[in-house]
Amino acid sequence: MSRKSERLVNLVIALLATKRSLTKSEIFRTIEGYEGSNESMERMFERDKDELRALGINIEVSGLDPLFDDEVGYKIRPEDFSMDTKGFSTTEIAYMSLAVQVWKDVSLDEVSQKALRKLSGLSIPIDVSEVPAVAPLVLSAPKYLSEVIGGIAERRSATFSYFDANLDLNIRKVNIYSYFSHKGFWYFSGFDLDKSDIRTFRCDRIAGEIELSSKSGTYEVPNNFNGHASFTESETKQRLVLNVRKGRCSQLRILAVSSVSLEDFDQIEIEYVIEEEIIALVLWHLDDVEIVSPDYMREKIVASLKDLIKNHG
Amino acid sequence: MVKRITDNQVERLLDLVPYLTSKPGVSLEQVAKDFKTNKAGIIDDLNTLWMCGLPGYTPLELIDLSFDTGFVSIRNAEILSKPRKLTIHELAAVIVGLSILRESISPENSSYIPLQELISRLSASSKVPAPIKVVTAIAPEIRSSVEKAIREKSALDILYFSVAKDVESKRLITPIRFVVSDNHEYVESFCHSSDGYRMFRLDRISKVDIVDESLLPKLEHTLDNFEKISFAIKINFDSRKVSETFNLGVQFPVSLDHSFDCSAFNEEWIIRTICSLNDAASVKEPAALRAHIALRAQKALNTYL
Repeated sequence: MSRKSERLVNLVIALLATKRSLTKSEIFRTIEGYEGSNESMERMFERDKDELRALGINIEVSGLDPLFDDEVGYKIRPEDFSMDTKGFSTTEIAYMSLAVQVWKDVSLDEVSQKALRKLSGLSIPIDVSEVPAVAPLVLSAPKYLSEVIGGIAERRSATFSYFDANLDLNIRKVNIYSYFSHKGFWYFSGFDLDKSDIRTFRCDRIAGEIELSSKSGTYEVPNNFNGHASFTESETKQRLVLNVRKGRCSQLRILAVSSVSLEDFDQIEIEYVIEEEIIALVLWHLDDVEIVSPDYMREKIVASLKDLIKNHG
Repeated sequence: MVKRITDNQVERLLDLVPYLTSKPGVSLEQVAKDFKTNKAGIIDDLNTLWMCGLPGYTPLELIDLSFDTGFVSIRNAEILSKPRKLTIHELAAVIVGLSILRESISPENSSYIPLQELISRLSASSKVPAPIKVVTAIAPEIRSSVEKAIREKSALDILYFSVAKDVESKRLITPIRFVVSDNHEYVESFCHSSDGYRMFRLDRISKVDIVDESLLPKLEHTLDNFEKISFAIKINFDSRKVSETFNLGVQFPVSLDHSFDCSAFNEEWIIRTICSLNDAASVKEPAALRAHIALRAQKALNTYL
């Protein structure tokens, strides 16, 4: 294993150091580790190139012009290989080191460790404790987020299996435009190619892997795309009148637009958008709340309570 | 396609050179720690690196390493001395991490604007997008006070909203550590008000005051096991919602006769959760819990009769 590592590191050094591109025969002649027949060296070199590219190292190929039968040459541009460190202050590098340490366990963690390792190679000493007033955080890294962001960055269409409300799995194909977190969950929005519409997905409802198209630049992200608008803001508000027990139901009281004091209860009027959510909240408060109007909402609560009694009797 | 790769030696060697260049005389133990490996692994890496250099491979061209004293120094490695560029995935981890840090502090904090600028710059120069919003639901002042109390081992007076009991109460706590569970952040604490260890959800703490701890009895930082209540449910409909509510991790459409084992800390929470699910799930066992639910639902129904 280490003979191969040695050859690969030597190849990187040589391709980085050279001003002009090196031809294959120059590589085979001068770089330590290439030996055997010409054919086996060719195979070795192909594998080495693939391996370095998999590490994110960009090898530039020149002389591919069909009009000239120049031999193909290879080099690595230092500006493609190395971090541009000039733009960053000591504090900024400390912020970045602190930022990658936000993640514990799973997906982003391994990536973060590598980023931290690279940052630790900067000739500036990193002292995270000197960052003013930023407390270190530790969060569970959301699965798939790395793929989602990579997909947007390179404009690769994403294909994944997604659980619907009945836990049936559906294959979705999406051009992802943006991502965000909301109350502890990570979401992404984009154009669903089968539904021909904008959809929002929650990362933890994906099963298996996200597959990104091998071709990059397959779509454009619309200017000023505001993905979460369709997710948070919507439609008309409904009104509901409730009696809530004094000293209780603060989760309902914060929604109140008006309040009148009765004997043991307060009568409040609240506004809501999603009926399902408000019914859940009313049921949560059991006998500390009663819906006064409208009647159809009263009936829904009554029906639900009767079902609960029947199912638990 | 850019794939995440597991650590390999070439990658480690390429990162090792700038690291060693920037930290002349670093100890082998420290290197092993920073590279998440052991001393033997690092010595193996250094022995390999020693054979690398520019074509020619005479001592003039080879990387010069010394580490036999237990401290490492490196020379003649200028070409590899700058850290490698961050990959898209690494930059994503940095940018998302920075966005979360920014959201965890208040806009008046002196780090807020520098963080914001750094995020914009990294994102603009790399095409790696920043999240369009990050909502942490935890007030930055609360987080920083609790963090400070953990660090300084001091006590806090908190105003805590118990959703299960539907009351806000004042508690005297000594916070011990942050815990993340089911996408929520908690602070594990000794609660002096109830004389036991309790978990408090950070987003339900509405006020914190640092307390003079000389007034408090001394604490032994051992954690009791929180006792959980076991119960079984069946799912009637809306299986994804039920699965997410009880953290069942169900990954298939469910049939009505399927029974799921669950556990929770608080009976009141179970009763109210089952009721609020609007009959999407019912408790199968234990019988006492079923009876409690039926009783509470009947009590609520009586207000409508």
